[in-house]
Amino acid sequence: MKNKYIFGGIVIGVFLVLMGFLFTQTNVKYEHDFTRIEESTRTVKATGAWVKERNYQVDKQKRLFSFYMKDAMGKEIKVIYAGAIPNNFETATSVVVTGKYSNGVFYASDVLTKCPSKYEGNMNIQQSGM
Amino acid sequence: MVGSVILTFALIAGITSTVMYFLSYKGNNNALNIARISYHAMTIFVIAASALLMYAILNHQYYYKYIYNYSGTDLPFGLKMTTFYAGQEGSFMLWTLFTAITGVFLQQYTTKREDLEPRVMAVFTLAMSFLLLMVSPLLKNPFAYIWSVDDYIAVQNINASLLNLPFMQNFLFSDNSTGQTYVKIGADLKAAFESNGYSITSLIVQGKGLNPLLQNFWMQIHPPILFVGFALATVPFAFAAAALMKNEYKNWIKQSFPWVIATTAILGLAIMLGGYWAYGVLGWGGYWGWDPVENSSLVPWLVAVALVHTMLIQLKSMKKNQSSTINLSKNEDSNRIGEFGKTNLVLALLTYILVLYSTFLTRSGILGDASVHSFTDPGATVYLFLVIFIMTFILLGLGLMIFRWKHLSQPVEDYKNLLNRELALFTGAVAILASAIIIIAGTSAPIFGQAVQIEFYSSLNLPIGIIIGLLNGLSLLFKWKETKGQDVIKKSLFSVGAAAVLTVLIIFAADISDFMMIVLAFSASFALFVNAEIAYKIIKGNKMMLGAYVAHIGIALFLLGVVGTAGFTAQQSIDLPKDEPKEAFGYTMTFKGYTPFDNGKKYAFNIEVKKGNSVSQVAPVMFFSEYNNGLMREPDYMSELRHDLYISPLGYEDGGAEAHNHGNEVMLGKGESTSFEGAKITFASFDFPKDAMNSMMAGQDFQLGAKLQVEFNGKINEVETLLRNEKGETKRIPAEITDANLKIEMSNLDASGKVNLLLSKLNGAQVEQPASVKEVLSVEASVKPLINLVWLGVFVTCLGFLVAGIRRMKDSYFA
Repeated sequence: MKNKYIFGGIVIGVFLVLMGFLFTQTNVKYEHDFTRIEESTRTVKATGAWVKERNYQVDKQKRLFSFYMKDAMGKEIKVIYAGAIPNNFETATSVVVTGKYSNGVFYASDVLTKCPSKYEGNMNIQQSGM
Repeated sequence: MVGSVILTFALIAGITSTVMYFLSYKGNNNALNIARISYHAMTIFVIAASALLMYAILNHQYYYKYIYNYSGTDLPFGLKMTTFYAGQEGSFMLWTLFTAITGVFLQQYTTKREDLEPRVMAVFTLAMSFLLLMVSPLLKNPFAYIWSVDDYIAVQNINASLLNLPFMQNFLFSDNSTGQTYVKIGADLKAAFESNGYSITSLIVQGKGLNPLLQNFWMQIHPPILFVGFALATVPFAFAAAALMKNEYKNWIKQSFPWVIATTAILGLAIMLGGYWAYGVLGWGGYWGWDPVENSSLVPWLVAVALVHTMLIQLKSMKKNQSSTINLSKNEDSNRIGEFGKTNLVLALLTYILVLYSTFLTRSGILGDASVHSFTDPGATVYLFLVIFIMTFILLGLGLMIFRWKHLSQPVEDYKNLLNRELALFTGAVAILASAIIIIAGTSAPIFGQAVQIEFYSSLNLPIGIIIGLLNGLSLLFKWKETKGQDVIKKSLFSVGAAAVLTVLIIFAADISDFMMIVLAFSASFALFVNAEIAYKIIKGNKMMLGAYVAHIGIALFLLGVVGTAGFTAQQSIDLPKDEPKEAFGYTMTFKGYTPFDNGKKYAFNIEVKKGNSVSQVAPVMFFSEYNNGLMREPDYMSELRHDLYISPLGYEDGGAEAHNHGNEVMLGKGESTSFEGAKITFASFDFPKDAMNSMMAGQDFQLGAKLQVEFNGKINEVETLLRNEKGETKRIPAEITDANLKIEMSNLDASGKVNLLLSKLNGAQVEQPASVKEVLSVEASVKPLINLVWLGVFVTCLGFLVAGIRRMKDSYFA
C-alpha cells in the first residue's frame, strides 16, 4: 500500500512541477491596452477592434495578412499574421490576436474573431412609420 | 403558455420526488410510492414539453423567442430538429429530457437491487430538479414568448399582410445607417394586437435561421450523444453519494460499474464525433484544437476512465480478501472496503461535478474571449444559478466524504513487490488524472485573465501518452497481487519484438526523427500487440471477457493515429489557376471551376485530384453566410488508407477585378500596389502643394504629383509622376525607372483619392497581355497520415467499453 503512495506521489509531483514550469512558459495574458503591448516583449493576447478605415492587406506571395487594430483608447497597432484571412473577419466586432510586438509591428500567430449574431450590433434606430 | 405550464408541473413533480425519496430513505414507508409516481409524472411532463417544443419548431411558431432566434422556415426537416438544441434553452431542455429518461431506467435498476432505490434516486432527482429549474419559466425557458422582452424584428421576417394595419405604424423603426426596417416587438405591441382583435401569433413568419456551422449531419448527432453522456454521468455521483449515505462501500462498486462504463463509452463517442465535426466542417485542419469547449467535455471523460480502472482494483481486492493475509475476525472481514474505496468515491463524485463545471465554463460566458464557440453571455441570474448548481453538488459530495471519513480509513495490506496489476492500473489512473488536471488548469486559466498556448497541452500530454501506452500493455502482463519478473519478460517477448519492428517500419514510412514521437510510436505498438495477443487467445473462449482488450486496442490505435497526424502532417498553400495542373504531395490537382448548390447560396470548388491512374474529386465549399454576415469556408478531404488529403479553401479570385485594369492602366488607392512586368508599384501619397488648389480654382497653372514606390529586383525606388497644367493644357510628366525598363504616367485622379496610372515599357516594347485573366482558387492542402486510426481507435475503444459494460451488467446482481 505504501508503494502506491510513493509511486503516485512521484508521478503527480513530477507532473505538477512540469506543469507549473510549462504554465509560466506558455502562459499568455490578455491585454487591452496597446501602449503596454509596445513596451513588452512577451507573447500576449491583444484584444481590440479592426480599424476598418485602414482596410487590410493580403500579400499573396508571402501569405501574409495584415491589418490595423485599435484598443478602447483608440491607440492603433499594425498586425501581421502569417496565414489566410480568418472567417468573418470583415464583420467581427472584436478581434483577439495572439503574438509578440517587435519593431513597430505585432506579429500574430493566431487571430480570433468575435462576431455579432445576425441582428445585433449597434443599430441606430429611429421611428419611421410607413 | 402550455409549454411553460407543463415545465412548471414537471418542476413541481421533480421536487416532490426528491423530497419523497429522501423521506423514504429516512424510513417513511409511504413516501416511496409517491416518489415513484412523481418521478414518472415528471418524466411524462418533460417528454410532453420536449414534444411540444419540437412541434412548435416544425410548425414555425416564431412567437417563441427561442424558435425565432435559432430556427427558420427554409431549413430542411433534419436541420429543424437540430434547432431543438442550437441554443442554450434548447440544449438544457435536451439535457433535462435525457436525464429524465435515464432516471426511468435507473429507477428500474435500483428497485431490483436491495434498498438502493431511495438513496440513489434521492440524489439523482436532486440533479433532475436543478435541471428543471434551469428550463423553468424562471430561467432559460425555451417557451418564453418573443414579446416578453423588447426586441427589433426585421420586416422581412414579418407577415406582410399585417404590416399595413394602422396601429402597426407606431412600431416601425428604421436603422439609418443600413436602411433596414424593423418592427419593435414587446408588451406594447402585444396589447395593441389584442385591443384591435388580431392574433399576434401569426405576426412573425420567418426565424433568424440556424448557424451554418451547425448545419451538417455531425451536428445532428454529436450534441444528443453528448447530453446522453452528461445524463449518464449523474448516475456514478448518485451511487457514490448513496454509498456514503448508507456508510456501505462494497456493493456500490459492482452495482454502479455498468453505469460508469456506459458513461465512459457514450461520452467518449460524443467527444470523437465533436472532433470529427471540427475536422470536416470547422476546417481547423485537425480533430483537436484544445478549445475550451472540447477540453471541458474531455476532462470528465478522463476522470471516468480513471475511475473504471480504480474500481477494477477495488472489485478485485474485495474478492481476494477471503484469503487475506491480515488476520481479521469474520465480521471485520465482511466490512472491508478493499483498496481505493475513497479514491473511487471521490472520482465518481468528481465525474458529475466536472460535467457541471464544463457546463459552467461554456455556458456562463466566463470564457468570452477565449473560445471560438463559447455560448453567449446568459445574464447574471443564470450565471449565479450555475454557480449554485455546481456548489450544491460539490458541497454535497465533500460534506458526505468528510462526514464518513473515519469509516473510510482502513488499513490495507502491502504489495509483495512492484510488479502487480493493481499498481500498474493505479499508475495508469494517476497518469490519466494528471492529464485531466493539466487540461482543466489550462482551460480554467482565462478565468484569471491568463491563457495557455497549445504547446502547454501538447508537450505535457505527450509523455503521459507514452506512459499510458506502456501501462496499457504492461498492466495486462502483470498478475494481480504479485508477478515474477521472469514471467513478465517471457510473456512480453513477442510484443516487444513485434512493436520494435512496427516502430522501425513507422519511422521509415513516415520519416520520423523526433525522439519523443518514436517512443510514443513504440509504446502504442507495444500496447497494440500485447492486447491483440491476449484478445486472440480469448476470442475462442468467453467473448464477454474481451471488452477491456478491445478498448485497449482502440487506445493503442488512437495513439498511433496521433503519432501520424500530430507529428507528420505536411501542409502547403497552393494557388490553383483554373484548368492548370499543380503538383503537391505526389498528387496532381487541377481546379475545374465551381458549381453553385443549395439554390445558388453555396459554391463547391471542384478540384480534380490525380494520383497515378486514379482520379477523384475534392470539393471544398465557400459561401456567404447571412447568419454570420461573413464568408464561410468548409474543407473537403479525400480519405485513403494511409492518409487523408485535406483541402481547406482560402480564397477565390474570379479574374474580374483584374480584367478592368486593361492590362496596363491601373487604378490604385493610397497604399495599394500592383504588379507589372516583375515590378511592384505602390501608390504612396499625393504631392499636393498648398497653393495648387487655389491655382486650380483661379484657372492658373498648377502641378500635382503622385509619389510612388517601385520595387524591382529587391530594390525600392521612390519616384514621382506629375500632372502639370500649363495655360489650360494638361501635360503628363512620367516617372521612369531604367532598371525596370518601366514608364509610369498619371492619367487621371479621382475624387475618392485614387489615382489612375498608365504603365508601359521604356523601350516601347509591347506588353505581353495574358490571353485571358485566369480564375484562381487558393487552398491550403495537407496530408494527414494515419488519421483514420484516430477515428477507428476511439470507435474501437467505445465498442470495448460497450462489451465490458454488458459483462459488468451481468455481474451487478448482488447475491
